[in-house]
Amino acid sequence: MTPFDLVEPASLKEAIALIDPDDPDVRPIAGGTALMLMMKAGVFRPTRLVSLRRLRNGLGQITSTMDGELKIGAMTPLTAIEHSSEVKRAAPVIARTMRRLANVRVRNVATIGGALAHADPHMDLPPVLIALGASVSIAGISSERSMTVEDLLTGYYETALAKNELITELRIPTQGNSQAVYFKVTAGSVDDWPALGLAAAIVGEGDTVRSVRLVVSAATSKPMRLTAAERALNGQIANEVHLKRVADIAAEEADIIADIRGSASYKRELLRVFTARAVRAAMEPRGAPH
Amino acid sequence: MKAIKPQVGHQVGRSLPRLEAREKVTGRAEYTHLMQLPGMLQAKILRSTVAHGRIKSINTTDAKKIPGVFGVYTGDDIRTVIPDPYYGPAFHDQPILAIGKVHFVGEPVAAVLAADPHIAEQATQRIIAEYEELPAIFDEVEAAENKVLVHEELKPAGIFADLKHLKGRKGTNIALDFRLRRGDVDKGFASAAHVFEHTFRTQKVLHLALEPYASIADYREDGVTIYSGAQSPSFVRTEIARLLSWPENRVRVKVPYLGGGYGGKLYIKMEALAVALSMLARRPVKVALTMEEQFYTITKHPSTFRIKSGIDKDGKIIARKCEVWWNGGAYADVGPRLTQKSGFTASGPYDIDNVSIDSYALYTNLTPAGALRGFGIPQLVWAYESHTDMIARALKRDPVDFRKQNLLHDGRPQATGTILKNAAIEKVLDRIAERLNWKKPFDRGQGVVRRGRGLAVALKAVISPTTSVAVVNVAADGSATLYCGTVDMGQGSDTAMAQMVGEVLDMPAESVRVVPRDTDVTPYDMGTLGSRSLFHMGHAVRLAAEEARDKIAALRRELGEPEGSNTPLGDLFRKKYGMQAGNIVGTGIYKPDYIPPDSSGLTTDVTPFWMVAGSGVELEVDTETGHVRITRLINVADVGKPINPKIVETQLSGASLMQLGFSMFEKMHVDGGQITNASLADYKIPAIHDVPPVMENMTVDAVQDNGPFGAKGVGELATFGVSPAIANAIDDAIGVRLTELPMTAEAVLRGLYVKDNRPLGDD
Amino acid sequence: MNFAGDITVVAPRDAVFKALSDAPFFASCIEGVRNLEAIDATHFSAILETHVAYLRFKFKAEVELTQLSPPELIEAKVEGTPFGIVGRLTAITTTRLSETSGQTTIHYSVDATITGKLGSMGQPVLKAKAKDMEKHFTERLVAAFAIGGRGTAH
Repeated sequence: MTPFDLVEPASLKEAIALIDPDDPDVRPIAGGTALMLMMKAGVFRPTRLVSLRRLRNGLGQITSTMDGELKIGAMTPLTAIEHSSEVKRAAPVIARTMRRLANVRVRNVATIGGALAHADPHMDLPPVLIALGASVSIAGISSERSMTVEDLLTGYYETALAKNELITELRIPTQGNSQAVYFKVTAGSVDDWPALGLAAAIVGEGDTVRSVRLVVSAATSKPMRLTAAERALNGQIANEVHLKRVADIAAEEADIIADIRGSASYKRELLRVFTARAVRAAMEPRGAPH
Repeated sequence: MKAIKPQVGHQVGRSLPRLEAREKVTGRAEYTHLMQLPGMLQAKILRSTVAHGRIKSINTTDAKKIPGVFGVYTGDDIRTVIPDPYYGPAFHDQPILAIGKVHFVGEPVAAVLAADPHIAEQATQRIIAEYEELPAIFDEVEAAENKVLVHEELKPAGIFADLKHLKGRKGTNIALDFRLRRGDVDKGFASAAHVFEHTFRTQKVLHLALEPYASIADYREDGVTIYSGAQSPSFVRTEIARLLSWPENRVRVKVPYLGGGYGGKLYIKMEALAVALSMLARRPVKVALTMEEQFYTITKHPSTFRIKSGIDKDGKIIARKCEVWWNGGAYADVGPRLTQKSGFTASGPYDIDNVSIDSYALYTNLTPAGALRGFGIPQLVWAYESHTDMIARALKRDPVDFRKQNLLHDGRPQATGTILKNAAIEKVLDRIAERLNWKKPFDRGQGVVRRGRGLAVALKAVISPTTSVAVVNVAADGSATLYCGTVDMGQGSDTAMAQMVGEVLDMPAESVRVVPRDTDVTPYDMGTLGSRSLFHMGHAVRLAAEEARDKIAALRRELGEPEGSNTPLGDLFRKKYGMQAGNIVGTGIYKPDYIPPDSSGLTTDVTPFWMVAGSGVELEVDTETGHVRITRLINVADVGKPINPKIVETQLSGASLMQLGFSMFEKMHVDGGQITNASLADYKIPAIHDVPPVMENMTVDAVQDNGPFGAKGVGELATFGVSPAIANAIDDAIGVRLTELPMTAEAVLRGLYVKDNRPLGDD
Repeated sequence: MNFAGDITVVAPRDAVFKALSDAPFFASCIEGVRNLEAIDATHFSAILETHVAYLRFKFKAEVELTQLSPPELIEAKVEGTPFGIVGRLTAITTTRLSETSGQTTIHYSVDATITGKLGSMGQPVLKAKAKDMEKHFTERLVAAFAIGGRGTAH
């Protein structure tokens, strides 16, 4: 590891100004858990890291609005989100997902903004957030904008962020009657990166699916909505015949990548099986354990 | 200093908490990785990017120019201070830095010294090495065909007498071939009612001790001091002395605690490089590897084992033929020893009249393989206990009854011809079966989740002959100090040895000071390996303590003390020397008897003690995904009479969890000779969530008659049976038989789909 | 790392073969190739500079056309050394051409190995990048022939 400059701006404006949009060797650093791995692997040799540490107070809050929208500051550490009663109320799937996310040491340090900006397709939160319909606020040098998490993540480590933009906030809309589940399917150790991630958010009326979002991750180059499977499931009764059809569609529609955690054929089978299991779990009466 | 509470009663048999535990968990324990010496330089290594090639050039000009770089060194530089820089316990085949050729991706080719390790690392990126690529070989069975050769000539060391016949051998990748012939297997197969043959394979995995390799060398004109996380400091001393052509007493090796070893820190790892660089730089040099570099240092042997058994009409195994190919990687390390020593028990804990064993150590162009907890036995048991189970099922026999019918017992000859003694194999098998409720019906389930159970038992001959020496020094106030070369690498040896001293000298174990390893002070020990220390060093320690005790008794008599008096030792010394002065020193040396095998691999004295253990497993299989969930893991072992039952329990638990990772998911993936998952980010080892919800670790009631206080070693035992017990349970649950490790969910699902005649695609 | 696939272009096989065995044209279809130099008729060198997000990769590549059998087979060997990091990239590419009614199908397979730090920890990223490059290559190749003949795309 070569020496680099570490700067610690006190404000968001200052931080953005310190990131040279034309120099890829200058990067913002939040918790640093992912960035450190890139540096250890030797694939990223920064000349300057812009630490966002001092922005923690301003960007580290969790609040919910009157209409049930959840707002999480980008610099909030994952453990704060894991243990937040606001989050548990608004989107219990997030707290459940956290229990197996990386490990407690990483969760204590990593931030939600950093995780989203890193865009590793194996991560657990992005598919969950996409299933919940979440969006992010983004601050640039002279403007602000917002987009869905689905639009934010564009590829392997790639996001729609300009080089000198920072995520400031994550917003999760009120979930109403929607129930969400996330399956982290590991191939090796329980603590491994998943071979497949599957998130489902469903509004069910009895046995019928009123609305559904299905998101696959880890086996693809970015988390992806399974739109064909969603279309096939929407408005249908979630019985075994329909679930089998939907699962087959999901298995065919995703562009699966083979790696050391599984061949493409195997991951396709996992996708088939867990699409059905996720829908079943999301259709369970509220309060049933998953 | 904490006051030592007096202990009434025996020291041996106490579940004494480890003496160094507090030091370790409060971060005060010393490890080589954290040591600093004044003026010390740090080394970073440039590693080969080709699996097999001739070194055309190594250009260090740019690297040398970087400010802060002290020096850049290649194999040629090493040769200016050590003319013949090849080392190894079995073969002197491994160069300190590559010379002429590179033999595996990751082989050390050059080293940079700088005070700042980041600068040294940066400089390695500027060294330009050019190679003429040569064909490379990676598979052990293919390597035995000798179409692509790894080395031009074999260089056996002569350290182990049984390898001398290999010197100068050319034109082969077979570093050693062990053969055992007992009876006539061909006749046996011809007359058998049933013949079964299967082939099993294991994968490349590694130790991954949490403390990576680190060695510091401080070379002076009149001697060199080496600080190293080493399991065999005496070997380091003799080998470095040999490389330097110095007498042993000018080489000092100091070993603090080890953050784990598991066999990976044996013999020479970074010590020779540190010494050579210190010689060249005339400064202390530390070579401390990163966790990722462990993948390029030493691993477990992948293996292929073809096993064939002939069974008579009554279900007796009358013939067994074993062929084992060991993938030793680019340098021999201790592979040839493993190939021979494991060969003794390749046919398993069974009473078979006709046995044929061929065990081959192969060179390939991969990271060298060496000793890893079990020393080849887990790979053998994987094959023979899966095979034996498959035979039982094919013959519609109960797997426990079939084993019992064929099991070896005390008084019977094992395959080598040595008569079995103090080997509680049947007791172990019975206990596993009992804990699994084997006789009770077992519900295998009807739905998506199926259940199964399986077990396995195994036998190992502790390697022999090896020597241990110990010294007990009683000071003038009666306090005792133990000097012995057994390295405490987390297995609790210091505690156990202190208990044995305390037992003999009738003092609390906690009051015995066990001196950290220092070859200027602690005497010879062959090495902390192969579960030998408790027995061999235990005897040496016992003998040393007994000699001290006898000398104390003699002193009492000399001073005219009445028989049976309990005058405190301090008073005795004061009486003898007029003040608190003097010492009583006792020495113990232990080397067991051994008769080397003849040309048929046979001997009547192959081992001073047999190692016996087994495992039982209950598990669930998700038949839609292939995921296996182990619900109960039972480990049972024969350790004679345990010196410290708590340590025994933790050793059984730890060994089985390590083997669990090797069984279920660990694997070094290789592409073109490059390991593609060479970091803990991608190569996962078992963590707390992988531990089965129910795990039982126990010993059977037994005595090792010739063991210190009736005990024998435990470290490796619970690695033996885990893998085949799981495979047998999976077969029991879903009728799918896996013959290769690791047993991943994908492998299980593929097995299921093949069984249903709709195999999964290949992509 | 293995890739294989088929690309169909609207052009006769002879023309496709000529195009693919023309180094500047071939290089123009790969994103990030520059400084292409011909050492002789079958040996070339170039710089490959590419990135995955903010991670940059720069290789000095040497290409050898090991077999040219018009109009159907092209085999090449690529050796790349990364800048500033220890490692080595080797690849063997095999390209077979078959023709059906004015269209040519290019059957390609690439067997690549990366050693050194990139190879030990960077495989998932590199695989994703390689897939990406495969996609771009296909698009550019198809476009080059669609416009109306070789050499019109740069």
